[in-house]
Amino acid sequence: MQDLVEYLARSLVDSPDEVSVESYEEDDGSMVYELSVAEDDVGKVIGRGGRTVNALRCVLRACAAKEGRRMLLDVVD
Amino acid sequence: MSEDTAKGLTAEAEGASLGEAKWNAVKALEPRFPGVTGDCVSFEVLAEGDEGADLPARVRAEVDEAAYERIAGEIPETPADRVRAVVSRVVAALGLRASVDIEETSEEIRATVNGDDLGLLIGRHGATIDALQHLAMRAAFHSTAEHKAVVVDAAGYRERRAAALKRAADRAVDDALSFGRAVELEPMGPQERRIVHVYLRDRTDVQTHSEGDEPDRRLVVTPVKPGS
Repeated sequence: MQDLVEYLARSLVDSPDEVSVESYEEDDGSMVYELSVAEDDVGKVIGRGGRTVNALRCVLRACAAKEGRRMLLDVVD
Repeated sequence: MSEDTAKGLTAEAEGASLGEAKWNAVKALEPRFPGVTGDCVSFEVLAEGDEGADLPARVRAEVDEAAYERIAGEIPETPADRVRAVVSRVVAALGLRASVDIEETSEEIRATVNGDDLGLLIGRHGATIDALQHLAMRAAFHSTAEHKAVVVDAAGYRERRAAALKRAADRAVDDALSFGRAVELEPMGPQERRIVHVYLRDRTDVQTHSEGDEPDRRLVVTPVKPGS
């Protein structure tokens, strides 16, 4: 799952080498993924009106649901 | 069962020609190895086949794991390959046994997912496949001036959806005309709204426009002469 978050994020940015993902599990069992990207790429992963990050969340949520998990994705500065 | 088969490194397939059999074998490996290509697979010919005699060719393909790992982390160069990579990874993460076919024309790149039980990929009201389509489009063109439409389809889903949208549009027109007032459709994305706008474009008794903000933006059908 973390691999997928990282791969999709790297596909969306100009500087794939600067993409990193950290994850931890919440008490309720949901997974939290914290995505960080190069400063110039933040707009690319968020998209106009948040459209791209929401699309990421939608697709990742479906993949997590397949494993019976809930997930959250945050873009950190 | 050999160890390789147990790990799912091999697949056997048939085809009318040797080339087709190889292609089918790579396709059979794709659900387990998203984005796999002939470059990281070795082939063993089990039967040469004979097209004239209608005998199929048969091959066994084996993935070279080390070579696959090298290409798996890479982001491909061309927009079409980037679309394929994004879509096939998500298809694999959803645990679907499905293949991804890419067609590219001068106007669009179309990725068609073929397999059984694609409901998970489509999602409620198509939310998941529309989100994947947006990601595939952004992945394809984020750094180039070039731009084409990107469509992600699942075994005829887009066609069925377009037919359903046209039926909903017909009902909205009927209501708008019989009650003499504006009728809102369900919220839908820009590409789906466009299908309805184009479908109703030539009608002289109704007009269409959109209201609200994404993702709740809705198309509204208005009678041209309300109440008459």
